[in-house]
Amino acid sequence: MHDAVLRIAGLRTQFRTRQGTVDAVSDVSFDVRRGETVALVGESGSGKSVTALSVLQLLESTGSIADGSIVFDGRELVGLSEKEMRDVRGREISMIFQDPSTCLDPVFTIEDQLVEALTIHGTARSDARGRALELLRMVRMPDPETRLNAYPHELSGGQRQRAMIATALALDPQLIIADEPTTALDVTVQAQILDLIRTLQAETGAAVLFVTHDLGVVAEIADRVVVMYAGRVVEQGSVFQVLKDPRNPYTAALLASMPGAVAGTGQRLTPIEGVVPSLLDMPSGCRFAPRCPHAWDRCHEADPPLAAFDLNRESRCWLEVDGAVDGVGTAEVVG
Amino acid sequence: MIEYVVRRILSGLIVLFLLSTFLFFVMRAVPGDVVRLQLADAGSVTDERMAEMEAELGLDRPALAQYASWLGGVVRGDLGDSLWERRPVTEMIIERFPVTFELAFLSIVVAVGLGIVTGVASAIRRGTVTDDGLRVASVLGLSVPNFFLALLMITSASVWFNWVAPLSYRRPWDDLGVNLQQMAMPAIALGVSVAAAIARLTRSSMLEVLGSDYIRTVRAKGASSRLVNYKHALRNSLIPILTLIGLQFGALLGGTVILESIFGLPGVGSMIFRAVEQRDYPVIQAGAILYGTIFVAVNIAVDITYGLIDPRIRRS
Repeated sequence: MHDAVLRIAGLRTQFRTRQGTVDAVSDVSFDVRRGETVALVGESGSGKSVTALSVLQLLESTGSIADGSIVFDGRELVGLSEKEMRDVRGREISMIFQDPSTCLDPVFTIEDQLVEALTIHGTARSDARGRALELLRMVRMPDPETRLNAYPHELSGGQRQRAMIATALALDPQLIIADEPTTALDVTVQAQILDLIRTLQAETGAAVLFVTHDLGVVAEIADRVVVMYAGRVVEQGSVFQVLKDPRNPYTAALLASMPGAVAGTGQRLTPIEGVVPSLLDMPSGCRFAPRCPHAWDRCHEADPPLAAFDLNRESRCWLEVDGAVDGVGTAEVVG
Repeated sequence: MIEYVVRRILSGLIVLFLLSTFLFFVMRAVPGDVVRLQLADAGSVTDERMAEMEAELGLDRPALAQYASWLGGVVRGDLGDSLWERRPVTEMIIERFPVTFELAFLSIVVAVGLGIVTGVASAIRRGTVTDDGLRVASVLGLSVPNFFLALLMITSASVWFNWVAPLSYRRPWDDLGVNLQQMAMPAIALGVSVAAAIARLTRSSMLEVLGSDYIRTVRAKGASSRLVNYKHALRNSLIPILTLIGLQFGALLGGTVILESIFGLPGVGSMIFRAVEQRDYPVIQAGAILYGTIFVAVNIAVDITYGLIDPRIRRS
C-alpha cells in the first residue's frame, strides 16, 4: 500500500435542516499521500468544502459526521473528543480559507494572530514572536517587520492570504487543507499565491488537500484529482489522466465547460444543462443522470457504484461497470 | 479624531441650547403658578402679595426678557437662583450631584455586568434551556418599569424580610455600609431594564460574530472555546453593545428622577422631581442642562472608545 497521510473512507456528513436530516456528502473515500497535492474539485454544493471541514471537524453546529472513517497519520479522527481534535487542528493539520478579507480577526494585528497560532499549542510567547517574523519571510511578505504590526484591513488581499498561509505553516503541519484559497483574489494575485503554495509545499514537504472549482488551477498545482458531484466522488485519478482522458461524463462535461479548452478557437463553451440536484430531492438513480448527455434507462433506475480500473483510477458510472471502456461520448455506448 | 470630538462637542452645545430654550417656554406655559403655590404654603393668597412676590422673583417681566437674562447668566456659568430656596442652583447641584453620580455609576455597573454576562451565556449556550430561560428573563426585565420594580422590591423586602434600608441618607465617605444598603435597591431597579436590553443585544451580536469566518479560522488553529468566545468573539461584539450603553444612559438618567424620589435619596433627580411639582423654573432648567450635558459627554466617550476596540475606526 502507498503511504497515505490522510485516508478518508465511506465518509457521510449530515446536516440538520427544517426539512429533516440531509446527507451533504455520502460514501466519500480517497487518500492523500505524504507530500502530494490532491485537488478536490466540484461545483458549488458538490460537498467538497463539507468534506474538507469534516476532516478537521469544523462543521457548523448543525452538521456532523454520521458514518465513515478519517484516518490521519495512522490515527482515527472520527470519534475523537473536541479536546483531542483541538490538538490536531493547527498543529498536525492546518487550514487556509477562501476569503482572506473575512478570515482574519479584524481587531488583532497580524503578529497577534500568528503568535496565537503558536502559543495555543504551547510555544513560549517570546519564541513565538521571532517565529512570526520568520513565517512572514517564508511566505515572501513584502516588508515583513512592518506588516507584523499591521491590522488585516491595512493589507492587500494577496498579503492577507500570505498571512493566512503563514498561520497555517506555523507549526509545520503534515497536511494543509486549502479551501479555495485563490477564489477571492485577483487573477494576477491568484497566480502568485498558487506559486507560493507550490514552492512552500516543496520546501516543507507537507501534503496539500486543495479544494477548488477551477480545473485550470488543478492542472497547475495538483498531482492527483478527486472530482465530486452532489455529495459523491464521481471520478479520481492522476491529474494528467483525468484532465486528458476523463472517464466520467460529469468530468468530461466540466472540462468542456471550461474557457481554457476552447480559448482562442472561437468556439462556444459547452455549459452543463440543468442544475445540481437539491440534497433534499436526489434523483433515485445516478445523481448526474438528469443532466447527463449519455444517460439511458439504467442510469435513472439505479445508482452506479464507484468502479476502480487501471491502478488508482475510479469512476462512478454505468458505462464503466458495463465494460464500455472506450470512453464516454461514443455513439455505440450511448445507443 | 480631535476635529471629530470638537465637532461633536459643538453639535452637543446646539442640542443643549435648543433643549433649554424649549423647556424654558414650555414650563412657563404649563398651568400652575409658583407664586400662588408659595403663598398658599404661607397661608395667605392676596392679589397684592402676589404682585409683590412676582416682582421680587422677577416673574413680572416679559418672558423674552426673562429668557434673555437667564441665558446671559448661563453663558457666564450662573444658572440662576431657586425660586423656593432662594439660593444659587449651582450650589444645590454641587451638594446633590455625588448622590446621583453614585446611583448612575452603580446602575451602569449592574447593567453592563449583568447584561454582558447574561448575553454571552445565552449566546454560547444557544438553543439550550439556559438560553431560553435567560431570554425570557430579559424580556421580563425589559417589560417591567423601573419604578414598579422599585416598589416591588421595597414592599417585598419589608413584608417578607422585615427589612427597610436606613432612612436618613449617609454619604459613602461617612458610612459606606449604610450608604450601600441605601443604594443597592435603587441601583438594581434602575440597572435591570438596561441590563436586559444589553443582554439581548449581546446575545445577537455574539451569535453573529460566532458565525463569522475569522472565528472559524481561530478554531482551525486549535483554540479552546474559551479563547474563541472571550478573546475573539466578545471583543468583536462590543461595538454595537457600546452604542446601546451610550443610548441607554439617557433612560438611566431619566430613571434617577423617579427612583431618587421613591427611595428618598437627596440627589439631582429628586431635586428635579420636586422642582417640577413646585414650578421652580431655574432648577428644572439647570437639571435639564446637567442631564443633557452628561448624556452628550457619555456618547462622545462611547465614540472615542470605539477606536480603542476596533483599529479600523481608530485609523480612519
